Amino acid sequence: MNFRYFLLILLSTFFLYVLWLPKQTLVRKAFVLCFVAGMLVFALNPDLSTEIANYFGIVRGVDFLFYLSHLTLFFIAFVYYLRFREMEIRFTKLARQVAIDQATNLGPRSPD
Amino acid sequence: MGTDQTIDSRVFVIVRAYNEATVIRDVVRQLCERFDRIVVIDDGSTDSTAVCLNGLKVILLRHCVNLGAGAALQTGLTYAVTHGADWILTFDADGQHRVEDALAILKLLQSGNCDVVFGSRFLGTTINIPKTRKVLLLVARWFSNRMFDTRLTDAHNGLRGFNRKAAALLDLTQNGMAYASEMLRQLKEGNMSIREIPVTIEYTDYSRRKGQSSLNAVNILIDLIMGRLMR
Repeated sequence: MNFRYFLLILLSTFFLYVLWLPKQTLVRKAFVLCFVAGMLVFALNPDLSTEIANYFGIVRGVDFLFYLSHLTLFFIAFVYYLRFREMEIRFTKLARQVAIDQATNLGPRSPD
Repeated sequence: MGTDQTIDSRVFVIVRAYNEATVIRDVVRQLCERFDRIVVIDDGSTDSTAVCLNGLKVILLRHCVNLGAGAALQTGLTYAVTHGADWILTFDADGQHRVEDALAILKLLQSGNCDVVFGSRFLGTTINIPKTRKVLLLVARWFSNRMFDTRLTDAHNGLRGFNRKAAALLDLTQNGMAYASEMLRQLKEGNMSIREIPVTIEYTDYSRRKGQSSLNAVNILIDLIMGRLMR
């Protein structure tokens, strides 16, 4: 029971933190808030997760939440992969431009 | 072509180098005897690769950090295209390639019958190729041909030639070794005509040590699949 209270406090704090977090797009904020709100609902009413799990053909609610967290983590990893790739491409372009701008002719001929 | 001895200045040779201080001077010196414009891309080497080139007639471009073979190639191509290249050859810095093969590629390219020429070690000769490397290359060949509907025998050979049109078309974003397959895709999508000619690749103790590990093939595969998903 103690852990449940701890979870409720943690999730509520996170919910409020995200709610007042500046510089977030509305879509991203709504997504995180819905996710945390869902977790809060499951923490308050654990039997609900079992009911939903049964609806999807899963016996235990905890299994349903386990699968759900896996999917969420996969999604987050994918989003961060996309961001990483974008940053890598930008960084490469920058390094390339610097290299081209600072091309050095080691021999007697001019590079241009 | 200019004279029999050297090729005119519209031909650029791109040499990518990462920590190649041991061999790069000899490799580039051989190229200098036959080519007028040699562009060395020092891909963030931490050894004296750049210093080793002092006094040679080369243009040196330095990446401030190591980015990878694909990034270095694209840097060389971008430089060559923006500095008036009509034909571009790529040549490995580790001494595996032969200048005569590069000249043969150039000749075929300048005949105007194709846009891109790949050197093929499987049509030509391989000296001292490790068995694991051969298997890896054959798997990569099968994969590339299936993925891009091509019939190439050695798309992962570093000895290649491009005309200006093909080089300008390329915009490689795969910094690592997966660039080879990305390049193939872009060339196919741009309807570039690709030919292969036999070349000789000599694996020395040095080049074997420098070569990528077989396990890296898994990383390349992941890069390729993700790259395809991202398109």
